[in-house]
Amino acid sequence: MRHNDLQRAAAGLSYLRGLRLIPAGFLLIVAALANENVGPLRDDWAFLLIAGMVGLAYVPIARFYREHYGRMSPSARQQVREGAALVAAPLVMVAGASLLRSGASWSLDLPVNALAVAFAGVMLISYAAGPGIRAHHLVIWGSLLLVGAVPLWDGADPSNVGLVLAGIAVVASGVLDHRLLVRTFGAPRDA
Amino acid sequence: MPEDELVLDRLIHEPARLAILTVLSSVDDADFVFLQRATGLTQGNLSSHLTKLETAGLVAIDKRFVGRKPNTSVALTPEGRKGIARHWSQLERLRRLSDPTIRERAPRATRAPRAARPASP
Repeated sequence: MRHNDLQRAAAGLSYLRGLRLIPAGFLLIVAALANENVGPLRDDWAFLLIAGMVGLAYVPIARFYREHYGRMSPSARQQVREGAALVAAPLVMVAGASLLRSGASWSLDLPVNALAVAFAGVMLISYAAGPGIRAHHLVIWGSLLLVGAVPLWDGADPSNVGLVLAGIAVVASGVLDHRLLVRTFGAPRDA
Repeated sequence: MPEDELVLDRLIHEPARLAILTVLSSVDDADFVFLQRATGLTQGNLSSHLTKLETAGLVAIDKRFVGRKPNTSVALTPEGRKGIARHWSQLERLRRLSDPTIRERAPRATRAPRAARPASP
C-alpha cells in the first residue's frame, strides 16, 4: 500500500464521476447547432429551454453518485487549485484559439480548427496538472487535438464543427471515466 | 537518529485504519459511503475501525440527516492529521533504511530500528 496510491484513489473516486460530463457535452453540441440556426434552435428561447433541461439532468446524476459513491469535500488546497483552473481554462482556451486562428492582427491565422485544438489542449493540461491523465483521456483528447491540427480547415470558420467535436469528446470521456470508476470502485449495486 | 522516532503507532499502522486515515488526509471530510468505496472495506469493518479511531481522537464523526437520509461524515482531527503525516514519514524513513543503495550512501543510518510498539489503547 502506498501513500500516493491511496490519495490518488480518493481523488479518482471524486473526479471519475464521468456521467456528470454528459450534460456539458450535450450543451456544447446544442450551442453549435444554435449558432448554425439548425431547426427550432434558431430561436433563442429554444436554446435556453434545452440548456435548462440539460442543466436539470445534472441533478439526478449528482444524486446517483452521492448515493452510490459517497460525498467528500476537497481540501482547501485542492479547492484553490480547482478554482484557479476554472478561471484559467477559458482564458487559455480563448487566447490559444485566437492565436491559432482569428481576425486579430497577432493571430497566426493557421488553417486549423482552433477551437478543437485549444479545447483538447486545455483538457489535456488540466488532467495532467490535476488528477492525472488516463489512457482514454490521451486517446480522446489526443485525437481531437490531431483532428483539429490537421491543416485542412481552410475556408469558413470551423468553430461550430469544433464545438460539436468537443461535445462528442466530452461525452465519450465522461462515459469512459464512469466505466473506469465502476471497474475500480465497484458497481453501484455493490454499495 | 533516535530510535523512538521510528517506533510505529500500531493503532495507525493497522492496514485498514492506515487506509482510512490516508484517504481522509487528502480531503477535508468524507462520508461513510465514500470511505467504504475508497478503502474497499465492508460496512461493519469500516464502522468498527472508525469507532476505534474516534475513541483515539484521530477522527471526528458527525452523524446528521441529508434530506431525509442519515449521513455519517468523517474528518481528521488536528491530532489525526499530525499522526498520519508522522506515520508516513516514519515509514518512508524505514524504507530508506532498508534500501541497501541508500544505506551505502549513508552508513550511519544502518542500525535496524526497533519493531512497532504495543497497540495504543
